[in-house]
Amino acid sequence: MRLGWRVWLLGVFVALSLVLIMSGPTQYKLFVLFLSLGILFVLQFVKEKTGKIFIVAVFAICILFSFYMSLSQEGVVINSIDKNSVYFNSGIRAGEVISQFNGINIESMEQYSQVVDDLFKQNEEIKVTINTNKGEYIILTNQTPEFSITDLQKTKLTMGIDLQGGARALVQPETNITDSQMSDLVEVARNRLNVYGLSDVNIKAVSDLAGNKFMLVEIAGATPEDLKELVAKQGKFEGKISNRTVLAGGKNDIADVCRNNAQCSGIRSCEQGTDGYYCQFEFAVYLTQDAAKKHADATRNLSTDSSGQYLSDKLDLYVDDSYVSSLFISVNLRGQESTQISISGSGTGKTQEEALKAAKEEMKKLQTILLTGSLPYKLNIVKLDTISPTLGNQFTEFILLAAVVSIFVVGLIVLIRYRRVKASLALLFTSFSEIIMILGIAAFVKWNLDLPAIAGILATIGTGVDQQIIILDEARKGVQLSLREKMKKALFIVVSAYFTAFVAMLPLFWAGAGLFKGFAFTTLIGITAGVLISRPAFSEMIRMIEEKVN
Amino acid sequence: MEQHQTEHHPQHHEHSEQNTEHHHAKNWYDKSYKFLLILPVILIVFSLFYLYNFNNANGDIIYKDVSLTGGTTVSVFDKNIDINKLGQDLKVDFPDLLIRGMSNIRTGGQEGFIFETKAEANVTQTALEKYLGYSLTKDNSSIEFSGSNISQGFYQQLKFALMVSFILMAIVVFIIFRTPIRSLSVIIAGLADIIMTVVVVDMLHIQLSTGGVVALLMLIGYSVDVDILLTARVVKDHDGTLNQRMFGAFKTGITMTLTAIAAAAVALAFTHSFSPVLSQMFTIILIGLGFDIFNCWITNASMLKWYMEAKAK
Repeated sequence: MRLGWRVWLLGVFVALSLVLIMSGPTQYKLFVLFLSLGILFVLQFVKEKTGKIFIVAVFAICILFSFYMSLSQEGVVINSIDKNSVYFNSGIRAGEVISQFNGINIESMEQYSQVVDDLFKQNEEIKVTINTNKGEYIILTNQTPEFSITDLQKTKLTMGIDLQGGARALVQPETNITDSQMSDLVEVARNRLNVYGLSDVNIKAVSDLAGNKFMLVEIAGATPEDLKELVAKQGKFEGKISNRTVLAGGKNDIADVCRNNAQCSGIRSCEQGTDGYYCQFEFAVYLTQDAAKKHADATRNLSTDSSGQYLSDKLDLYVDDSYVSSLFISVNLRGQESTQISISGSGTGKTQEEALKAAKEEMKKLQTILLTGSLPYKLNIVKLDTISPTLGNQFTEFILLAAVVSIFVVGLIVLIRYRRVKASLALLFTSFSEIIMILGIAAFVKWNLDLPAIAGILATIGTGVDQQIIILDEARKGVQLSLREKMKKALFIVVSAYFTAFVAMLPLFWAGAGLFKGFAFTTLIGITAGVLISRPAFSEMIRMIEEKVN
Repeated sequence: MEQHQTEHHPQHHEHSEQNTEHHHAKNWYDKSYKFLLILPVILIVFSLFYLYNFNNANGDIIYKDVSLTGGTTVSVFDKNIDINKLGQDLKVDFPDLLIRGMSNIRTGGQEGFIFETKAEANVTQTALEKYLGYSLTKDNSSIEFSGSNISQGFYQQLKFALMVSFILMAIVVFIIFRTPIRSLSVIIAGLADIIMTVVVVDMLHIQLSTGGVVALLMLIGYSVDVDILLTARVVKDHDGTLNQRMFGAFKTGITMTLTAIAAAAVALAFTHSFSPVLSQMFTIILIGLGFDIFNCWITNASMLKWYMEAKAK
């Protein structure tokens, strides 16, 4: 069987797409590429029928197997690691995959956080053994590892938060702002989320058809419960003495904040109160010379309080104009340009564990706000979705199943209608190859596959099958025209339908702050790959089959 | 030669059978195709009248769900809760609430429920937590909230997008077929598909989501495919009589639509138990494809035949 160049083109594209989708070691990828191209060569050059079918089957099974192997990797990936931590010093670097933590197999982010939370409940030094793909690390520490981690990607496909779980917020400034103001806002917000420890965050400015500007924040996987506060709270930090602002968050006043260092930051005590527990946190803040000077000016004329140890006025701390806590100022700091202050606060909860967690989060939030300063505008959350990862996994599985069964049903109908096994198989292959090409391109441009994108893939398969039926029918119609001419006519209809579908998708790129972009994207990729690659290849396959029959 | 082919190709036999069928159809069809056009006219007029009244009664031509009006959707994974009782008990606080069960498609067992209301997210969450007796976390639930301004904005934009898509499609159809009547028959068939689908969606009391509006947009693509096939075969081909060409196109087109219907039905069966958004999209596509058969083979076909017959004279 001589394969035409169109079939070759489709085969090569499918092979490349498979490689683009796969994640994992290069040898797997090369293996898959080699085998898929091998199938094409076998079809082209091996004449003996049984041998051909046998080799193709073996190759196909090997491809599926190596694909399966690349899908069954497990662990969590370190995206970033604090350079001041003992973990960094012991040699762990970003990019490594954690497979075991103190002997426990780590399969998911949830499991990782569970294990880490359990280990670092108390503030005491423990032995930590971490196994990564680069080796084993043994560390003696009381520091919670400040890694930002994500689940190991089993494929190169990035799933939208509505499929893999996570949070999405659409945030709108209260006042109209310009594009450059918007990009400032996005910068500050990104910085804030990074400082908080979320690095797998996608923040961008979006606008809709009506010209409204939004900030779109998407956080994959595990998300903090208080995402709302992080993205929408302005986070205006003020320290006031005698109602005079002497201190604000951000780099003008704050030189540094002590974090992840047990000596100057951490939970100091936990106690049982009347209605639950409360835990006290404390951390050091290093002020700039400017701030220290303002501080000195404000305290110069204060008197001493009744105890004689502290000044009469306290340093009152406010976040977003609401009072947080007060700090006593020692007498010996009066009029001094001290560059270090210590901030404390507390978290409460029904159990000690909850209180500890609340205190840690509260501390982290305050540290973040102090370091990054306030957002330049007041914001409103206009849309907030938090999707459970549990749902997402099931969802993807069901949708895949739906797609596969739908395609087989279509194949069956075509088989019944035309009674051609080969043509039906060609149709099945072409439909699957279209899905693979869409996914390959999505992986290549790192497109987030969300629910609309999946709907788009399903829509594409639908129109794809329709057009293959046109080709199939056109080939079998009458005998006056040569097959080649018939294919040309079929392709005219296909191309016309392509252009109408293409223009119909365009407005979706802009409507609804781009939330339906995914649909338009996969549909456009799908129908374009269809009209350029798979439809010509399909008509060539049909020509091969029909010419053999006649 | 003839004999030889019949032996090897059973479909040839089928072909001659269709020819006789087609011969019968021809007489009847030639006489009545103009009268057949009354059907779509009646349906379109009825649909427009229905939508006009619907708009007067409800303030819009569709029922909208929370994704278009603003509100909260909470999906809770709870295998044991009595969903009906939950709905009745919370109806007092959330008169507009809509509850759907989620089930596992493999076992059929209950997985949880989806709770929709126009209320704010934290109000809904608090009320549900109080009722269920546990707190809703990312492990046991998903919460989606859209403010009312943004949702209404989305709705306006999606409507606009739908209109622009339709107009762009119409322009391309004009460019392909050049003459007004050939193009118009395709465009009218597409428009009728959408209008009639919306009427049925209203009659079924389906609250449209953003996904539903997108599904209407998908219908444009699906319906135009078959219409283009018909018009291309009728106008561009020169083999056989007009009726033969139309019948050939019909055989291809009906296979296309029926396969699409089968695929959408399978997809609906699969998504029904866990995704209201996807199942609504497939429901709309199914309804639309049904009307597509009618509009392509009666509305478009009759107009086209009329045009071709007139041109021949």
